[in-house]
Amino acid sequence: MNTLEEVLKRRRKFAVFPIVCADHCARLLNMNFGDVINDGEKLAQVLDYGYKTYGYDMVLVFCDPYVEAEALGCEVEFTPYPRLIKALWLNSVETKSERIDRTGEIINAAKLLKDKLTVPVFVSIKGPFSLAAFLVGIENFLRMLIKSEKKVKEIIDHALGFQMGYLKRLLLIGVNVFIGDPLSSTSVVSPKIFTNFAYEPLKKLVKKAKDHGVIAGIHICGDTRPIISMLDRVGADILSIEDITPETKTLKMGGVKTDTILNGNRTKIEYEIKEALKQPYLLLSTSCDVPMETNPENIKAMMNYGINS
Amino acid sequence: MEVEKIKKAIVELDEVTVKNLVEQMLKEGIAPEEILKKGLIAGMKEVGELFARKDYFVPEVLLASEAFYAGFNIVQPLIKVSQFNFQKAKIAIGVVEGDIHDIGKNIVKVMFEASGYKVVDLGRDVPTQKFIKAIENEKPQILALSSLMTTTMMHMEEIITILEEKNLRKDVKVIVGGAPVNEDFAKKIGADGYGEDAFAALKVVERLT
Repeated sequence: MNTLEEVLKRRRKFAVFPIVCADHCARLLNMNFGDVINDGEKLAQVLDYGYKTYGYDMVLVFCDPYVEAEALGCEVEFTPYPRLIKALWLNSVETKSERIDRTGEIINAAKLLKDKLTVPVFVSIKGPFSLAAFLVGIENFLRMLIKSEKKVKEIIDHALGFQMGYLKRLLLIGVNVFIGDPLSSTSVVSPKIFTNFAYEPLKKLVKKAKDHGVIAGIHICGDTRPIISMLDRVGADILSIEDITPETKTLKMGGVKTDTILNGNRTKIEYEIKEALKQPYLLLSTSCDVPMETNPENIKAMMNYGINS
Repeated sequence: MEVEKIKKAIVELDEVTVKNLVEQMLKEGIAPEEILKKGLIAGMKEVGELFARKDYFVPEVLLASEAFYAGFNIVQPLIKVSQFNFQKAKIAIGVVEGDIHDIGKNIVKVMFEASGYKVVDLGRDVPTQKFIKAIENEKPQILALSSLMTTTMMHMEEIITILEEKNLRKDVKVIVGGAPVNEDFAKKIGADGYGEDAFAALKVVERLT
């Protein structure tokens, strides 16, 4: 049973999940990341290996931020890091006939992991606001937020429609979801823009997930302080945010900075965990996904200190 | 004052009005230096203050930058360097290899240009060797490096290391910025400064030059 309590209390007081994703796991196994992202079985294999290596309390199926944008016709290249090289133009958001749709492989990987593992399995999907930005190009999108509000809403609706369909397919296999919406942070846009464009689509996705009894998390890196009360009202079970100090009703997830897990040492990691655990209600995690090149010893240090705290 | 209208149009993110006003004022005989200083630069300065107060965010600054350039590109060729003291210092700027996110870099660039610095824009996804060649050929006083990804920020350290190996490091101050970069990282890789955003980057450059 995938309940939030299960995530939190499965083995210990604080659940621990450094946001380890497919790129890092593929590197652990010396597998080509390009092969992994196009093959659900390989994707499940590397994520399973990551889980076995570190023993965290949940697993996240996440390859790169552009799965849905690519499925809708954007061009993505892997160098090996994913790069969105061609967005669609704003007047042609219709799905192209020839496109690369990896959502089926993601779902396949999630199902394999769910059948095999006892910890909750989450799939990362994009928030409609960020997906819309990828569809028309981020810079274009930022301009349009001020100059073409009506068109922006149309594109976000288009993104939301796609995500509702994708979520429906994920719910059929009963996995949990994490909705990543990095461009809606106030490091990028104003609280007013978040409220006018990003909030309602997030709420709709969360509601649909919750109606089906799965756990729904939201991940927004960057500054979220000015919109934290709005995020609290979205209705998600988990808020994965960089600054975990504001009070929320929703379970917060975070604690260790991305830079610390990548470039820090055991002492710094332990210090940040100690500070993070002063929060009364927390899923101990990294503030964003663990970079591919992260030294496994740092992740192990986070796990060891976290589970023994 | 007439040029105040240009400042207002920049703050209102109105690119077309800025262009029209600049063309009209030049026809009326207003000096390009005055248009630049009291209109365009003053406008971007106010935008910077609005950003610092969190009244403006990235979309507003992006549009203000475009409004600035709509006027700047007209008046820049008309201004003699000696008249405006245009080249306070030369800055080479670019996004490191593997990273194609350049919105932040472009906003930093406009702040530098609006403040009278000569900027050599190396673009995005810039190979390390291109940065080194730019230091050798352009001889900037400042090298500004940007990265939006944790996976590419290590190129910043690589560039500094090569500058040291080639004995070029003493000739140039290196500043770094971008979403995953912070003060600790900047110190760790031996950079001279870190700018949390475009406006902080400008203050760092002013301190270093």
